[in-house]
Amino acid sequence: MAGIIWALLGAALAVALAGIGSAIGVGLVGESAAGVITEDPDKFGQTLLMQALPGTQGIYGLLTGFLIMQKVGVIGGALLDLTVQQGFSIFMAALPIALVGYLSAISQGKAAAAGVGLIAKRPEELGKAIVYAVMVETYAVLALLASIMLLFGIVV
Amino acid sequence: MPIVEMQRISLFAHQQEKDAVINILQELGIVELVDLKESSAWEEMKLLLEPEEAAEEVAQLESRLGEIRYCLDFFQRYFPVQKSFIEQFTGARFNITPEEYKEFVAKGEETDLVYRNCREVDEEQIGLRNEETRCHNLLSSLAPWAGFSLPLEQIKDTKRLRMQLSTVPADELPVLQKALAETVADYYLEVVSADRDLAYVFALYLQKESAEVGEIFKTYGATEVSFPGLTGTAAQSIEELDGKIAEIQRKREELRQRVEKLLIHRPHMMAYYDYLEGQRAQKEAIGNLARTENTFMLEGWVPAPLVSNLKKTLMQETETALLVSRDPEPGEDVPVLLQNGPVSDAYEVVTRMYSTPSRREIDPTPLMAPFFFVFFGMCLSDAGYGVILSLLAYFITRKIKLKGMGKQLIKLLFLGGVSAFLAGIVMGSYFGDLIKIEPLWFNPLDDPMRMLIVSCILGGIHIFTGMAVQAYQSIKRGRIWDAVFDQGLWYLFLIGLVLLFLPQGNFAGKWMSITGAVGLVLTQGRSQKGIFKKLSSGLVSLYDVTGFLSDVLSYSRLLALGLATGVIASAINTMAGLLTGSVVGVIVMIIILLGGHSFNLIINTLGAYVHTSRLQYIEFFGKFFEGGGRSFQPFCKTTKFVEIEERKA
Repeated sequence: MAGIIWALLGAALAVALAGIGSAIGVGLVGESAAGVITEDPDKFGQTLLMQALPGTQGIYGLLTGFLIMQKVGVIGGALLDLTVQQGFSIFMAALPIALVGYLSAISQGKAAAAGVGLIAKRPEELGKAIVYAVMVETYAVLALLASIMLLFGIVV
Repeated sequence: MPIVEMQRISLFAHQQEKDAVINILQELGIVELVDLKESSAWEEMKLLLEPEEAAEEVAQLESRLGEIRYCLDFFQRYFPVQKSFIEQFTGARFNITPEEYKEFVAKGEETDLVYRNCREVDEEQIGLRNEETRCHNLLSSLAPWAGFSLPLEQIKDTKRLRMQLSTVPADELPVLQKALAETVADYYLEVVSADRDLAYVFALYLQKESAEVGEIFKTYGATEVSFPGLTGTAAQSIEELDGKIAEIQRKREELRQRVEKLLIHRPHMMAYYDYLEGQRAQKEAIGNLARTENTFMLEGWVPAPLVSNLKKTLMQETETALLVSRDPEPGEDVPVLLQNGPVSDAYEVVTRMYSTPSRREIDPTPLMAPFFFVFFGMCLSDAGYGVILSLLAYFITRKIKLKGMGKQLIKLLFLGGVSAFLAGIVMGSYFGDLIKIEPLWFNPLDDPMRMLIVSCILGGIHIFTGMAVQAYQSIKRGRIWDAVFDQGLWYLFLIGLVLLFLPQGNFAGKWMSITGAVGLVLTQGRSQKGIFKKLSSGLVSLYDVTGFLSDVLSYSRLLALGLATGVIASAINTMAGLLTGSVVGVIVMIIILLGGHSFNLIINTLGAYVHTSRLQYIEFFGKFFEGGGRSFQPFCKTTKFVEIEERKA
């Protein structure tokens, strides 16, 4: 029965770490966005778009967590009896998105906050501001991909 | 050709027709004016021409514009116009008919009256607000003394007595009382009230002992307070002030109602603002002209297909205007106007967010469009979401009149919805697993490896297309060998490497990759001097193969984002599915389904847009696109507040 604990720890970390990272990142952008809005309330839509960008890591984490829960039967079915090896494998599969999600969301938040400063002065450059932030997200996407592929590969 | 050819025009006319000509140019909106003082003609004809100064009227118009702007801001402060989320991107305009617009312009002088009214209200309002703040401050300093029965004007010194009101830090009060009792013979001390920090005390003592008392008060941090000019008890003064504040508030409400009455002028002010702005642009345009005593001259850029149109209009509507046009000369700073078909022009917005292409290269938009369409669909990859996205985009275009990049963006989302719908059918995803229909091809959830390979193959095609464009551009510029060495050999090498991994292509792959690699080593250092440097930089260039590898792997995001949409949608469905049974459960279930899927749609549309754009910018444009062109900015009528409806023919 120890296997299931490892698996659930993996799910919890994926959701929690990536979620914390996104919360910090989104908060960072929100702070600078609020500063811009004091000067120009019309930029709400654009800044909100920037603020949404570092939020995706939390979703990727949730997604991974959900996949694990489905795999081990927490949702929709009976709890599986995993061996320690199986459970630990699932735990390892959760690590990429948990770690990369946490750190990349914070970095992306910083890049997006700088982007908010950019559109405060030059709103027509919204596209470039987005691209800078999205460059960071690439690594979260790759980590998510790795986590998903690992999960699909583990036989339980 | 997607980049429109430009013609340089020179226009001459009689001074008397200056305003008419400028007006025509503004209405047509197809000419980008060039400052004559910076053109080549100026050097040649310097002696004949005088620069036309931007008229004094510009300053006048600007001050009028400032006044109207002030009124509009003023209205906005009292009765804000709320913009919807979409309008924040597009700007909110209201429609008026040409007749209404004409009427507004004719009544333009009335705006001055509105301005003076606004100004008056504003000043009065500021005065009242200051008075109100003063009252509130006084009120808060009086409040602790409300229980004190002596009228304030009676608190003054007599020949032998001293009276004073003071505040004492609350924790010092007992020590102060003790010190007084020990040192001073006759005194009276009343604690009127106290809060957490301060005690409010009245002190009465003999003049001859005032030095001792003063010393004690100072030691324990007491501060004397006085209310000059107030009569009656503190409680009476407070009552009076309350009355005063109520009066001020009543007056302010009256002013607010006055503003509300003025509010009917808002549309008028807006329309007139746009009119004046147009006038200002005209007067400013005159600054680009040059003149002789009786004629003037202007130069500009016009899209070549429209020159004859311009000529015809000028012939019809003026008597003296003469138009000469010629092809651009090398070295001239020609503006770039993109022209794409009715479908691919939606993707211009993607190109322009990166950079306007320069005139020497081809517009990448039509080449990029099909890839953008496919990739966007793969990222969103749900038939249900696709339908909803397309419908939303359709309703937005019906409800709001959009122009330029906003219109293109909505069109792009509409097409994205279509693409996601098709991808959803292929991969069997309808709101995740809400509606179970067998996929036309396969579901990436069942076989993610297969989808990863599909993504990377598409990426390979995308990258090879980018390289092909670069080769085409090299050939067009007469550098055929560049195309052969820089793209041809890479094609050979990369395709060879891919074949190596396939069992059937092993032999061909080996020879292709070896030939390619040798070719690259021999040619990539050709710009270097010396045989050793040539070979070594050729060898180093082989390292670029890792760049290609990471480019191709970058397309794995297509799989990841596609999976993300499907899995989150399924998660929402699963959560909602747990709640069936009771009536409340069904209601909550519907709320979860609606809220969850809306959220998922928004987040994944955003993700699909930004990641697909990134693939174009970094992986595709990086292979050939330089950009750095200057967008064509015609002299035209722009409006900020009103949208004048087209006259129906």
